[in-house]
Amino acid sequence: MIWDEVGESEAERDKMLLELERECLEVYRRKVDQANRCRAQLRQAIADNEAELATICSAMGERPVHIRQSDQNSGRLKEELAAIIPQLEEMRKRKCDRRNQFLEVLEQIQRISNEICKSTDYNSSKIVVDETDLSMRKFEELHRQLHALQKEKSDRLKQVLDHLSTLNSLCLVLGMDFKQTINEVHPSLNDSEGTKNISDDTIERMDSAIQKLLEVKIKRMRRLQDLATTMLELWNLMDTPIGEQQIFQNVTCKIAASEQEITEPNILSEEFINYVEEEVSKLEDLKASKMKELVLKKRSEMEEICRRTHMVAEIDNGMEYAIEAIESGAVDPACILEQIELQIAKVKEEAFSRKEILEKVEKWLAACEEESWLEEYNRDENRYNAGRGAHLTLKRAEKARAVVNKLPAMIDALGTKVRTWERERGIEFLYDGVRLLSMLEEYNILRQEKEQERKRQRDQKKLQGQLIAEQEALFGSKPSPSKPQSGKKGPRMSIGGANGRRLSLGGAMLQTPKPDLPHPAKLTPHLRPSKKGGLLSHHQDDSCVALSAGRRGLDIAGLPVKKHSFNAANSHEIESPMTRKPFSPLSAAMLPKVNPNFLEDLNKVQGGTMQKTLPNSNTPLATPSKLACVTDEDNRTPKEKMPIPMPTTPSTISVSMQTATTPAPAIATVLFGANKIEDNRTPKEKMPIPVPTTPSTISVPMQTATTPAPAIATVLFGADKIEEMHEEVEYSFEERRAGFVIPKTHVISVVQV
Amino acid sequence: MTAVLPTSAGRELSNPPSDGISNLRFSNHSDNLLVSSWDRTVRLYEASANVLRGEFMHAGAVLDCCFHDDSSGFSACVDNTVRRLVFSTGKEDILGRHDAPVRCVEYSYAAGQVITGSWDKTLKCWDPRGASGQERTLVGTYPQPERVYSLSLVGNRLVVATAGRHVNVYDLRNMSQPEQKRESSLKYQTRCVRCYPNGTGFALSSVEGRVAMEFFDLSEAGQAKKYAFKCHRKSEAGRDTVYPVNAIAFHPVYGTFATGGCDGYVNVWDGNNKKRLYQYTKYPTSIAALSFSRDGRLLAVASSYTFEEGDKPHEPDAIYVRSVNEVEVKPKPKVYPAPPP
Repeated sequence: MIWDEVGESEAERDKMLLELERECLEVYRRKVDQANRCRAQLRQAIADNEAELATICSAMGERPVHIRQSDQNSGRLKEELAAIIPQLEEMRKRKCDRRNQFLEVLEQIQRISNEICKSTDYNSSKIVVDETDLSMRKFEELHRQLHALQKEKSDRLKQVLDHLSTLNSLCLVLGMDFKQTINEVHPSLNDSEGTKNISDDTIERMDSAIQKLLEVKIKRMRRLQDLATTMLELWNLMDTPIGEQQIFQNVTCKIAASEQEITEPNILSEEFINYVEEEVSKLEDLKASKMKELVLKKRSEMEEICRRTHMVAEIDNGMEYAIEAIESGAVDPACILEQIELQIAKVKEEAFSRKEILEKVEKWLAACEEESWLEEYNRDENRYNAGRGAHLTLKRAEKARAVVNKLPAMIDALGTKVRTWERERGIEFLYDGVRLLSMLEEYNILRQEKEQERKRQRDQKKLQGQLIAEQEALFGSKPSPSKPQSGKKGPRMSIGGANGRRLSLGGAMLQTPKPDLPHPAKLTPHLRPSKKGGLLSHHQDDSCVALSAGRRGLDIAGLPVKKHSFNAANSHEIESPMTRKPFSPLSAAMLPKVNPNFLEDLNKVQGGTMQKTLPNSNTPLATPSKLACVTDEDNRTPKEKMPIPMPTTPSTISVSMQTATTPAPAIATVLFGANKIEDNRTPKEKMPIPVPTTPSTISVPMQTATTPAPAIATVLFGADKIEEMHEEVEYSFEERRAGFVIPKTHVISVVQV
Repeated sequence: MTAVLPTSAGRELSNPPSDGISNLRFSNHSDNLLVSSWDRTVRLYEASANVLRGEFMHAGAVLDCCFHDDSSGFSACVDNTVRRLVFSTGKEDILGRHDAPVRCVEYSYAAGQVITGSWDKTLKCWDPRGASGQERTLVGTYPQPERVYSLSLVGNRLVVATAGRHVNVYDLRNMSQPEQKRESSLKYQTRCVRCYPNGTGFALSSVEGRVAMEFFDLSEAGQAKKYAFKCHRKSEAGRDTVYPVNAIAFHPVYGTFATGGCDGYVNVWDGNNKKRLYQYTKYPTSIAALSFSRDGRLLAVASSYTFEEGDKPHEPDAIYVRSVNEVEVKPKPKVYPAPPP
């Protein structure tokens, strides 16, 4: 129409129409596309939501609530979307909650961890929740972790408290400031209300603090115990009064306590230990000042024991020295004290072993006393006179006799006891420094002596009785038996103490020849049996006994002694008894002078026995001549002349003895003989001692004895000669070998002297 | 000859003197051994190595010798001379003369002097540092009562034993007169005197198998300690044979001492306890001299006939050096602890 009107051409019209058609199509297409896009968007949104939902569900570890239904009802996309959105919202909310929970737990964990170990593993920035895993499982896991941590925390707290209490008690015992100690460990431990630091570090430090304190405690405890021990010793040593000891009772009672047992507050504090230490040093000072006193006390104690058991204390010299040393501070007194104590213990032990024997000795001595009393009593001629108390003495005498009868058995028993004792111990049993066995032997000898004496007296009495009887026949008077004589002799025979006995024995020996003298008539008859065995064997016996007694020391000395007694006996035979008479009284007087020379052995133990035997051997030698003594003194070389020196060539001696009757040539022969000995010495004997002059000097006075007047001259001359010879004789091996001779002038001067 | 003795006698030194040995001494500084002999020589051995280090020929028999230090020594000769021997150079010179053979020589470290004793009945002191020539080396001459037989020194004390059994004790600081004049407590000729290492006394031996232990202390208590004992004796078929005791040597550590006699035995004694500690197996002939080394580990033994029975055939002279076992010389503990000497 329009077109008609317009008159559009047909072609135009067609073109227009086509255009219209095309444009319509285009609009349509555009709308369809739009719808399509919308749908696609919807689907996309649903898918997205669903995906998110699924993630959340998986993260929370839950089954997805919404199962995808979009396939079935595809036409209702909007509905679907509407359904899914709330679900998603809810899930999101839950997730958020969950995350918060996680965060909370994690925060706690971190806090605790932080407390436990400061500054290490966890730091705050690290508190990130893993978004992808928020499942219950994880949550529970975290909770467990939290619990564990909480438990650990409480444990630690407890430990810390424990430590604290230990520390407290230690500090208390050691007297230290507890607060300060723990402050040093960690300041937070100090406030009782606030939280305590429980980190590893703190615990470690507490541990070490405890350790340290424990060490200190043990150290101090040791020290205290040491001090306590010393203190006890010192108390003991010095008898400190209980009152003073009481103060330190708490210390000394801990002397054996272990570390745990010492809990008393302040007992190990510095001040207390110092205090105890002071006390100990005070005691030490006291002890040092008292030490000398103590040593002396101990010594006197020991001496007392020795005295009681008749032992000889060996300590004297050493002790003087020791005391000096203490005074000069050279020796530790404690050490000496210890030594003395040791000695005391030993002495006590020995004393105990000696006890039995000592008892027997006491008995024996008592018996001896009774014996001597009895002797005295027997000698008393008036004993039967009825006086006051006579019946008592009679009784005593009776008892004494019984005791005396038992004496030999007693001595035997004692002897065997002592011998066993000596054998067991390997040392000699000394009684006041004298060997008991030798005492016993001496006693036995003395007994024999007395026995003989008694016999002799009996004989004499008989004879006297005869004489009296004769006199009576002649004059008709009857003198009372001579009392003075027996009285004079008596005391010497009696037995005193140990020393007295030894002397009296010597005395008895010397005395034995004496009683013969006033009775020259008796002499010959008496001498005769002695030649046959009485006197001779008696001497022999003695020297034998001496030999056994002296044992070690006397084996050499004993032999010549024996020989000399033989020789002496020989000379007795040669000389007539008449010549001996005028000189004999001197013998006794001379002997004591000679004796010391015989002390050839300095050994103390043997000294006693030596003294005993030598005078014995000497008696026969000395009796024949006074000159022997005179020359001895004049020449002043007594020692060289003593008869002991080795009569290794007894033959020469006996030769000179036989020549004794002719004095003048005798000297010549003797001297010659001496020279001979000198010359022949080496080939003849093994003995290399160049002193064979000794026997000759002895023989000289013996020979000259028969002619007293000229004898002196000859003897002196002889002595000079001897001296001179002596000079020549004494050369050492070296001098001899070197051919060394003393210049002549010297010899001459000696001769002139 | 070595085969004769078991090894227990000790090692025998090679190149021994050809005649009697008069003395031997160990050095104070080493194990060197100085030996004087009647064959007119003084020999220096290194004992541990068994080497003869030096030999000095004299105009006469040498009766004694001693060390000065490790490089020199002194000798006493029968030709009346006292000589100084220098080991490094092998030279010798005469320090001075006596009027008779010189029997013994000692060197005092305390006084720095040589002391000689002679059969001319004098004692002479010499200063070895003085220039050569008798006028300057001689310090003093001190008359003795008899011929000097033996000398011994300890610290400043000098003990002189002479014939006639005299014993004089001097203080080296005041030689004008003896500090003590004594008589030997033994009855026979003195053979040897030696001071205790602790300086409290001396031991003295005689020709009659006996040794006396004496003390310087003159107080009664001090003198009470002295004693004498027998040794070097033999008892055969009731007959006793007594031998001279030629030598005494004290152990430097323990103070025990060895004695040697003409019986060929060496005995070791503990003087404090009065016990014999040990007896070595018999040597072929008399023991002429003994010496302990400075530490007491070695003992030199001169087994050499000492002419006690005149000229006669005898075993060859030999020197044995034996190592000393501690048991042989250590004092056995006493029942009571020994009081300090």
